[in-house]
Amino acid sequence: MYITENLSLTEKLKILSDAAKYDVACTSSGIDRSGNGRGMGNTLAPGICHTFSADGRCISLLKILFTNECIFRCAYCQNNCNTDAARASFTPDEICTLTMEFYRRNYIEGLFLSSGILISPNHTMELIYETIRKLREIHHFNGYIHVKAIPGADPLLIEKTGFLADRMSINMELPTAQSLRALAPNKSRAAILKPMRMIQSGITQNRYDVALYRQAPRFVPAGQSTQMIIGATPETDYQVIKVAESLYQNFELKRVFYSAFINVTHNRLLPALPGGPPLLREHRLYQADWLLRYYHFRADELLCEERPDFNVFLDPKCDWALRHLEYFPVEINRADYTTLLRVPGIGAKSARRIVKARRMNRLDFTDLKKIGVVLKRALYFITCSGKMMYHTKLDENYICQNLMRDKTQIPKELQNSGYEQLSLFDAEHLADFGINANACSSLL
Amino acid sequence: MYTFICENSIDGIFTGVYDAWASGHGHQNVRLISHPPENYELFQEYIAVAPDSQKSEKVAATLKNRLGEEVHYLICQAILANELTTRKGGPDKADCVYRTIVLGLAMKNGSRVLEALGEPYVHRVFELSRATEAESHHLLGFLRFCELENGVLFAAIHPKNNVLPVLGEHFTDRLPLENFLIYDEIRRLAVVHKAGKNYLIADASSLNQNIITQYSQNEQTFRRLWCAFFESIAIDARKNPRLQQQNIPKRFRRDIVEFNERT
Repeated sequence: MYITENLSLTEKLKILSDAAKYDVACTSSGIDRSGNGRGMGNTLAPGICHTFSADGRCISLLKILFTNECIFRCAYCQNNCNTDAARASFTPDEICTLTMEFYRRNYIEGLFLSSGILISPNHTMELIYETIRKLREIHHFNGYIHVKAIPGADPLLIEKTGFLADRMSINMELPTAQSLRALAPNKSRAAILKPMRMIQSGITQNRYDVALYRQAPRFVPAGQSTQMIIGATPETDYQVIKVAESLYQNFELKRVFYSAFINVTHNRLLPALPGGPPLLREHRLYQADWLLRYYHFRADELLCEERPDFNVFLDPKCDWALRHLEYFPVEINRADYTTLLRVPGIGAKSARRIVKARRMNRLDFTDLKKIGVVLKRALYFITCSGKMMYHTKLDENYICQNLMRDKTQIPKELQNSGYEQLSLFDAEHLADFGINANACSSLL
Repeated sequence: MYTFICENSIDGIFTGVYDAWASGHGHQNVRLISHPPENYELFQEYIAVAPDSQKSEKVAATLKNRLGEEVHYLICQAILANELTTRKGGPDKADCVYRTIVLGLAMKNGSRVLEALGEPYVHRVFELSRATEAESHHLLGFLRFCELENGVLFAAIHPKNNVLPVLGEHFTDRLPLENFLIYDEIRRLAVVHKAGKNYLIADASSLNQNIITQYSQNEQTFRRLWCAFFESIAIDARKNPRLQQQNIPKRFRRDIVEFNERT
């Protein structure tokens, strides 16, 4: 470990934002709060992205760690106590200055504060609490604050913090208890789920309080979220989305984030991943996550024990539709909202617009295009007033080949890869769609 | 046929709507345009409409009462859009607004008028409104203030649509105790906000160009800190310039500090 003293604020900011960058939650959404006319700041429910970094991810919050010193030794984390990294810590006042001055200049939407475990979970949580207390009470900051709850910290401290923050999160890190034991010896599934449950019941309780007294302080009003690392351990996509589904149902989480594993510690317990982080897999999981949250899908509909991973060539919704052609074609002018939601190429917004617009007049394909339906995908699955757009067959093989002809739908990684990688691709999987690997590569 | 030539502003178009309706020629015999025509047609009577705030307010009040606040807001947003940059060649904005209002007032439930996307002019209003909405939402995030020597926060923008009213509303709520100025360099208009007061939109063609380049002492420090953060937060293994460009189009970057400053 480097001994670091008297670092400048710039150096600290560099070290501690670099250490925080693998945390993916950078959203500022979930709560509408207008300014109070006295302090500084308001929040918007859809959230605001302030800029996008070179990796194309949104920067909405000042995402930093309080300190990257840590007594834990999680194998996947670059801040674990065995790595050879420059260490630094902020003071609460430094964080307040940075947040206020950045916020004034409209660089950021608020603060995302996490931390390595300094001395003990309680000590760390105390420091985090002290920082955001200063920000709220002394600097009258009214913008968005997202903080991490440290597993193992005193419930009272977490509760106090929850009354000041907008969103709290506790990272699941890995989808199964077994992997967690293997890679993060200082963490346990129980220690993670306990504060998560506590925050959930706090939020439920607070809903009653606010209904009774309008002025009651709000507890974690933007809900809680969590994050899982994908690709560090051998879990299947099916296991991952099952976990996500149960978190949404049982813990009422607002979001589950997935982070493609990047090997930064080169620990022998971890896979090497020569092809770079599993970004495509992460992408498919996010698509499935949206299907769970907004499209009334269940995890069991998308995947099962026998087919535990997503198709790399098609997005989960197209994939589902091709395996369930018995539901199609769907009549646009008659089908109900939930049926429309299941058509590939129709999103939540266009489904809502269709339901409203068809009250006035019958819709045809030009209207659908204007409404925002992606016809090149939807046309195989819909009829307008009983007619399909073109003479297309409702046949799995035929539709699949046509969908794959659309180059933009095929991820860049696969477009660039040659025949060799494709032939590695599970032959059984392709057979599901009645295509052989050769035909496939000629399409690409 | 009668053609009403209105000024391209909320007041201008609403006055046009009032006059066209009050003229009594029948909806199918009137037409509104928001720009002077390139060629005047034969057998067409052209009537120039001077913006009149009283008439405009009457129209606004009718919209709010009969069609609801939301429809009024969306129609105003559509009027603020620049129709030359939003899918060229559509029917004129003023005419679309007029026909949408006529349809809305004829409907049993007028608040649903903008849901009738099957009608081409309603769709055009919807499209224009969305253009302003999208750009102003972008600018809520992409706008950058710098602190001038006198403590005033200053931001310059170059938007396609007239987004100042939306930005003024948002930042007045967000920074009530700051003096700030948001300058639309294309239209030469500015949102001016004084601490503790409401904002106003003023003509800024005579803005002193010297003052806005004199930054306060701390300004450079915080710019450097921000740029350092911006660099170190990106993950090298995930580098993706195409995604970045898709999310933050290049036309916004001239006004954004982290894309112009090299640390």
